Amino acid sequence: MITSSGIVEALLWGVANGCIYILLATGLNIIFGVMKLVNFAHGQLLMIGAYIAFAAATALGLNAYIAILVAMGVVALIGVGLERFTFRRVLGTDKLNEIFVSLGLIYVFENAAVLLWGNRSQQIASPFQGLQLSLGQVSIGYDRLLAISVVIVILIALFLLLKKTKIGLAMRATSQKSTASMLMGVNIEKVYIFTFALGAALAGAAGALYGIIFPFNPGIGALPTIKAFAIIIIGGLGSIPGAVIGGLLYGIAENTAVYFLGGIWQDAIAFALLIIVLVIKPTGIFGEKGE
Amino acid sequence: MNRTLVNSLGSIKREFMNFSHSQKFYFFLAVMAIVAIMPLFVSDYVVGEVLTPMIIFAIYASSWNLLASSGQGSLGHAAFLGIGGFASALLAIKSGIPPIIGLFLGSLLSAAIGLLIGLACVRLKAWFLAMVTFGFSVIIVTIFSQFDDFTGAVMGFRTPLIVERGVPFYYMAFTFAAVSIFIMYLIMKSKLGLAFRAIHQNEAEAKMIGINTGKYRLIAFVISTFFAGLAGGLYAQSIQYIQNFIFEPYYSFLPLMMAVIGGLGTIEGPIIGSVIIRAIESYLPSIDSALDGLLHPLFPSVNHVGPPLRMLGLGVFLIAVVIFAPKGVAPLIRKAYNYLRSSTSEEKT
Repeated sequence: MITSSGIVEALLWGVANGCIYILLATGLNIIFGVMKLVNFAHGQLLMIGAYIAFAAATALGLNAYIAILVAMGVVALIGVGLERFTFRRVLGTDKLNEIFVSLGLIYVFENAAVLLWGNRSQQIASPFQGLQLSLGQVSIGYDRLLAISVVIVILIALFLLLKKTKIGLAMRATSQKSTASMLMGVNIEKVYIFTFALGAALAGAAGALYGIIFPFNPGIGALPTIKAFAIIIIGGLGSIPGAVIGGLLYGIAENTAVYFLGGIWQDAIAFALLIIVLVIKPTGIFGEKGE
Repeated sequence: MNRTLVNSLGSIKREFMNFSHSQKFYFFLAVMAIVAIMPLFVSDYVVGEVLTPMIIFAIYASSWNLLASSGQGSLGHAAFLGIGGFASALLAIKSGIPPIIGLFLGSLLSAAIGLLIGLACVRLKAWFLAMVTFGFSVIIVTIFSQFDDFTGAVMGFRTPLIVERGVPFYYMAFTFAAVSIFIMYLIMKSKLGLAFRAIHQNEAEAKMIGINTGKYRLIAFVISTFFAGLAGGLYAQSIQYIQNFIFEPYYSFLPLMMAVIGGLGTIEGPIIGSVIIRAIESYLPSIDSALDGLLHPLFPSVNHVGPPLRMLGLGVFLIAVVIFAPKGVAPLIRKAYNYLRSSTSEEKT
């Protein structure tokens, strides 16, 4: 039955889901903006992040929200390895090579996760599991509210990093013109490694939050990648505010579609949006110039 | 459009004349002869379960390869494999036409849908094209499940056969493969193929020298999806069953792996890749039980270590090929062939 409180709830949950995708899309966007590289295995980094947080929470007995930091750190390290040993080798060659390498990475990550943790669905135990905040007829889990606030904190930190620090300046310079910034004394290789690690860390954080809210298994990575893509395309390539707005719009669209049309449309809507926006306005709704 | 068609057909015909007088022609005949007499030396099981899939996936990988040669790397080719498979089987069952006509109509339908998706893709850069095609392969599962009453895709169904499975089917698949791969060879050698390669190398420059890049990218899409549909129809018959599983990303990534590992943009690459990957998938599982005994203490959370380990190995193999041998393994074989030829010609002189 469609009620006004139901719609409000769908919107609120949409915002919470959207937050996770915002982190993922922002990471993808930063890597793309600076390195002009698209990592299709980004969703698999989210999946690995969920498992790292899960392992930290179960084996070390950490609080689920502290485990997010562990996931960010470990996935950032994985990102450093990826940049150094795979993507750097194909950067600047045929664009298709980047797609092939990411595809190989998808196979590697998914099956490594199966080997290490098995195929079963897991969920990170949060201290607030099952607790709901009720406002009249609308209710939302504490975990979803906390996820929203964690994402806000991370985004503010990211904003400060990009605008106020030296490495942030170097990243912005490299994203505008890598050769010119190299001539100005920016160590491009370092910037690339840092950028990739940062993007991976955001995916790791997204994964930990995902693991707190939803059950996950080694195969969950592919859909978030596409959703992050849809968000980037809605928001415009390389634009972080665009990714935030795109992520919120996307989360809301997905949840209202589920509310009105039923659950099986949840995933199809990502692609429908992706294809429609690409066909009508390939530069994205908020994007200015095409890439 | 008509003039392009006439021109390309003329150029394809010229390539055919060149080919039939070249040394490659004899090499080609030799390979055909070997494939044709294979069933005499191996068991019927191997013919049905190993060689037939190799041949069908060689068509599929070649169709992917043709699209990639125009710089368009599809990550959702399984959509067209599945459309071809479902359409050819459903047409034969629902309207009672002979399965072989169903196969052609199914491939044509796949090409028609490929034309629509291609239209959405012509303006897109490599990454977005990859995403859109991948997305399409996921949407299509939802659509097929939604119209389950008509498609029967959720539970799956038995597909009607053109000829009985086993050795007769092998020869039929072989005939289809020889003809379609030969057609793709001529296309890639002709002016069309030249245009594809020009677009792949630098689309802006290709446009500048007067190539209508959008049109050629669409042509590549239509040809490729036609043959992918054909492969799908044959595959559904070869396993005598079709279900939604045919749309899984695994089937989208398979032709990519085969073409890249074999040698992207070459005609023999996808065939070699198909042979390598299908051989791995057919024969490596036989050591699975040994692996389980050996590695189970290391990975206690999985029941069977073999399948994920194999997939992981494939991923590493793919990355290694892209980084260390970007032209795939085909050039190595070509080098060996040239070496053999030069040494025999030296003996003659």
